[in-house]
Amino acid sequence: MINLARRDIEHTLGKFVVTAMGVGMLLGIVLIMIGVYRGLIVEAEVLLDDINADLWIVQENTMGPFAESSRVYEDFKDIIYVMRGIDKSEAMTFQNIQLPHKDKPVRAVAVGYDIYGKISPINPNRLIEGRELKNDHYEIVVTNKSGFKLNDKIKLGRNFYTVVGVTHKSVYSNGDPLVYISLKDAQELQFLYSNKEIQNNTARGVKNSDSVLVNAIVATVKPGFNINEVANEIKKWQHKSVYTAKEQKEILTKNLVERSSKQIGLFTIILVVVSTIIIALIIYTMTLEKMKEISIMKLMGLPNSLIVSMIVKETLILGIFAFVFGNIFSHLTYDKFPKLVVLYAYDALLLFGVIVVASVLASFVGVKKVISADPAAAIGG
Amino acid sequence: MSNTAIKVQNLVKNFGKGDSLVRVIENASFEIQKGEIVALIAPSGAGKTTLLMMIGCVLEPTSGEIWLGEERVYGNKWVAKDTRKIRREKIGFIFQAHYLIPFLNIIENVTLLPQANGVSEKISKEKAMELLKYLEIDDKAYNMSSQLSGGQNQRVAIARALANNPQIILADEPTAALDGERSVSVIKMLKKIAREQNVAIITVTHDDRILPYCDKIMKIENRTIVFQDSDERII
Repeated sequence: MINLARRDIEHTLGKFVVTAMGVGMLLGIVLIMIGVYRGLIVEAEVLLDDINADLWIVQENTMGPFAESSRVYEDFKDIIYVMRGIDKSEAMTFQNIQLPHKDKPVRAVAVGYDIYGKISPINPNRLIEGRELKNDHYEIVVTNKSGFKLNDKIKLGRNFYTVVGVTHKSVYSNGDPLVYISLKDAQELQFLYSNKEIQNNTARGVKNSDSVLVNAIVATVKPGFNINEVANEIKKWQHKSVYTAKEQKEILTKNLVERSSKQIGLFTIILVVVSTIIIALIIYTMTLEKMKEISIMKLMGLPNSLIVSMIVKETLILGIFAFVFGNIFSHLTYDKFPKLVVLYAYDALLLFGVIVVASVLASFVGVKKVISADPAAAIGG
Repeated sequence: MSNTAIKVQNLVKNFGKGDSLVRVIENASFEIQKGEIVALIAPSGAGKTTLLMMIGCVLEPTSGEIWLGEERVYGNKWVAKDTRKIRREKIGFIFQAHYLIPFLNIIENVTLLPQANGVSEKISKEKAMELLKYLEIDDKAYNMSSQLSGGQNQRVAIARALANNPQIILADEPTAALDGERSVSVIKMLKKIAREQNVAIITVTHDDRILPYCDKIMKIENRTIVFQDSDERII
């Protein structure tokens, strides 16, 4: 049997391809939106994965530094270290800072860690230039997206820091670039007041001891020990909130990324609906253009199924073409976006499924028009 | 086996109801034999197209009977369950303009209906080529209709109407879009087809020049059918 859909498309190939490209760009944006969401998840987990701790010990009744303010004493790491089942424990700080850079400051998150400790937040695989921190003071490792280069001098607080290493794809859960400084420097930056304020506080009888605080203690558990049991022991005896790596990821994805993902999800759904409506309108217009031919085909006695299948096939082909163009568009543009966009094949496959269903739904407007076409319209001019 | 291709008895067609009732055809009765070409003439709005649509199983009459060959397709209601199948298998249509499907080439236009009737692509193509040759347009078989002249396209439309071996061809002003010379050429061709293929042809026309080529002239007068003789019949 003659493939009417194929013949019709071939007849107006240029118009069809341009239309599919237009819809494809819309679908490309849908893919990018999904990619932005995936990027949010990936970014949220970068630091957690790099630190690779089994347990996060934070201030009691708080959700930890990724969700809210948390303060624990630095030496608490030693208390944790001697607990049964603990393999390594280290103190860390996490703070938002502004790095002065040419015309405008760069917002970043500084991770402070003990450079002599056993847990480092710097993933060696991410280090593309230079080295990790070796000195207690005035060294900084930056991520390449921060705009700083090796040996650059950056003024933080009262002091200048030298860039000794550059990492790549090191981002915080909110997408800000990560920088790494020593724990001592980080504590000074976060907790040390200016000289005048210290004087005032001393006069008021307030002792400035905050510089021994950190935001969290991270620990790993020895093989053979149950992570949850060790966490419960710490909670029970040390009056701290303790989260496993899995729970920390949940805090990040559910508490921090959830709203963004809902926003992106809603936007994606709207775009898919708009794409469906546009496909439906295109098919409706294409069907209207063929109404005379459809009436003639019906008058000649061609079964509805044959004409309907032409419309449905054309809609599906339009959807598939648009999907292909959308993929090409998204892969050509995804790395131009300022935030991480991650394109997964299974997201594309899922969208393909949605587009197939949407195309079939969109074809209904054309099909309805075909069914209602009057064969008598072919007679009498 | 009867030689009657179309038999219409007491056919009535009204539109509307009550005060807005419009009587278009009243008690029309006639027979058309196989191999005959019949012209249907009447002023505009007299019901020519309505009659054509009723015979073509497109428009349901109000009452009466219609027989296509041996088959009674209408007897105060549609007797045939699938009128579209009747059209597909028994009737060929020719329109004022060629109305070929623009996205199909010439041979595809001709083979579309036979293939929908279940004839294989190979056999339908062979038959289509025969028809195109018969209508002297076989050299354009793989052209698009946009590449052909009006007269050539109308010949393709005739080939399409013949492709399903119809018993009846209903032509709605087939020469309306053609000049005088081409009109005569088309009606001669239809007459030849009627004779050689044993097909009954009803052609609606306003063109007096083609009337001498028709076997009968059927006229709608006072909402019913009367036959008019022509002294200048061309055999």
